[in-house]
Amino acid sequence: MIPPNIGQLPPELDLFAAIFGVFATIFIYSFLWKENPLSRAVEHLFVGLAAVFTLAFMYDAALSQAVWGTNRLAEGNFIWIIPILLSLMYFFFFSKKYFFLYRYPVSIVAGVMAGMMICGMIQSNFLAQIQATVELPLVGAGVWEGWPPAGLNSIIMIIGIITALTFFFFTWEHTGALGISTRIGRYFLMATFGSAYGGTVMARMSLFIGRLRFLYETSYQDWFWAWYLVPIAAIIVILVALWDRSKG
Amino acid sequence: MPTEEKTPFDRRYIYIVLFVLISIPLLYPLNLPIPISPMSQDVWDATVALSPGDIVVHSFDFGPSTLPENEPQCSSHLFHCRELGLRVVAVAFWAAGGPLAHDIISEIYGEGYENTAAYGTEIVYIGYIPGAEVGMQTFGDSTWDAKGTDHYGTSLPDLALMQEVRSVADVTLWAEWTSGTPGEQQVIQFIQGRHQGENTDWPLVRGEHLLPIVAGSTAVSVPGMMPFYSAGQLVGILNGLAGAGEYEKLVNDVYPQYPYEQGPGLDAQSVAHILVILFVVIGNITWAISKSGGGKSS
Repeated sequence: MIPPNIGQLPPELDLFAAIFGVFATIFIYSFLWKENPLSRAVEHLFVGLAAVFTLAFMYDAALSQAVWGTNRLAEGNFIWIIPILLSLMYFFFFSKKYFFLYRYPVSIVAGVMAGMMICGMIQSNFLAQIQATVELPLVGAGVWEGWPPAGLNSIIMIIGIITALTFFFFTWEHTGALGISTRIGRYFLMATFGSAYGGTVMARMSLFIGRLRFLYETSYQDWFWAWYLVPIAAIIVILVALWDRSKG
Repeated sequence: MPTEEKTPFDRRYIYIVLFVLISIPLLYPLNLPIPISPMSQDVWDATVALSPGDIVVHSFDFGPSTLPENEPQCSSHLFHCRELGLRVVAVAFWAAGGPLAHDIISEIYGEGYENTAAYGTEIVYIGYIPGAEVGMQTFGDSTWDAKGTDHYGTSLPDLALMQEVRSVADVTLWAEWTSGTPGEQQVIQFIQGRHQGENTDWPLVRGEHLLPIVAGSTAVSVPGMMPFYSAGQLVGILNGLAGAGEYEKLVNDVYPQYPYEQGPGLDAQSVAHILVILFVVIGNITWAISKSGGGKSS
C-alpha cells in the first residue's frame, strides 16, 4: 500500500475541485471566441498558482535534499552548508550593494551545466548519431526483404542526411550539383517540418480531448456531473463579455 | 508591418465545427480499429522480456498540462510492470510531476486491483529530485546521494528495495514519461551515455551494453525523439494519446481487469485529424483559386 501524500486534500473537496475545473476550463477556452476579463483572470491565476506551487515544492525538495535523511546536514554532515550558502547567495539579486555576490552561484551553475552538456551532447547527440548513420544496413541477409525493405530506408536516410546538410553549406553558391542537392535537402527538411506540425496538431487535439472528457465524464457521488455547469459557465462568459464591451 | 489577410470565413466557425465533431465520438464511441504501431509494440516487447524481480525506474517528468497524454501512458505501463512482478523505483525530475506521480502510483498500487504490492520492497516512490540534469546525473551515479528521503520522508537506506538500487547499473529498464526538459534526451545524455557498459545484462547496441530506455511523450515531441529510436538509444516510444491507447489495448487484451478507456479519445482524435486534413485541402484550393483569379496571396 502506498503511504498517504503529505498535505493531500480530503476527498470531500473533490466536488469543489470539479466545480472549479469546469469554470476554469470554459473561461480559458472562451479566449478562442474573444479575449475577455474571465479568460485573462484564469490565465493569471494559472501563472500565479504554477509559480507558487513550484516555489513551495522547490523549498520542500531542497530541505529533503540537503537537511533531512541519511548523511545529510541534520546528521552532522556539514559539507551541505556549502551548497545551502551558495543557494542563499541568489537572494543578493535583490540588493544593489551586494549584487556582485549573486554572480558567484550563477557562474558556478553555468560552468557546471556547460561542462555536463558538452560531454553529454557530444557522446549521445553527435557521436552516437553519426555511428548509427554509418552503420545503416545496405547489404547483408534480409536487408532487401519484405516491404519496405530496411535497405531502402537506409538509402532514403543517407540521401536525406547528406542533402539536408548541404542545405546549410554556405561556402559556395547553391548552383549546379550543389543546387540540386540543396533543393532535395530542402524537401527533406520540409517533410520534417510537416511531421513536426502533424505531431503538434495531434498533441493539441489530445489536450482538447482531455479537457472535453473531463467535462463529460467527471462526476461526484453520482449526483453531480461536471457538464451540468457548462451552460452556466458559458452564460457567465457571455454576460461578462457584453459588460466588457459596453465599457468601450 | 504584416497585415492580416481577410479570410473567406471567421476562424471561430472552425472551432465550433471542431468542438461538435470531437464531442460526437466522445459521447457515442465509433469503436474504430486500433492497429498497434511498431514503436508501441517495442515498448511492450522490451517490458515482457524482463524477469520477475527486475528493477524498472519510472520517471514522471511532466506537468498537469500534458496529463491527458502522459497519464494513460505511464498508468498502463506501470500496471503492466506490476502484473509482471517487476519492482519499480519511481522518481520525478519535474516539480509538477511529484504529486501527479503519487496519484498515479496510488491508483495502480492501491486497493482497486488485487494483490496489493508492498511499499518499500516492490515499489518505492522517491519523489521530486531537484536540479534537473544535475539531479538526473546524480541519481544515475548514486541513488542515495540524489535525495535523502523518499516522497514520504523515509530515509532511502531504510527501504529494502533501495538497498539493491545504489546506482543506475542496478536498473534493468528505464521508463521515461516526459513532455519536455529534462526528458528522454537528458536521460540518454546523463544516464545512458555516462553508464554504458556497466551492466552486461543490458542489450548490446553498437558494441556497448546500453541501459534500455522506453519513453512516452506528447505527440509534439516525438518527431524529435525519432533519431534516438532509430539509433537504438530508445528501445520504444509511446506516441501521445495514440501510443497511450495502443499500450492500454495491449495491456487490456492480456489483463482484462485493466480498463481500456482511450477508445473514444482515439476516435475523437481520428475525426479531428480528418477535419484538419479537410481544412488544409480547402485552404489550399481557396488559395489556388484566389491566385488564378489574379488575387493577391501571401
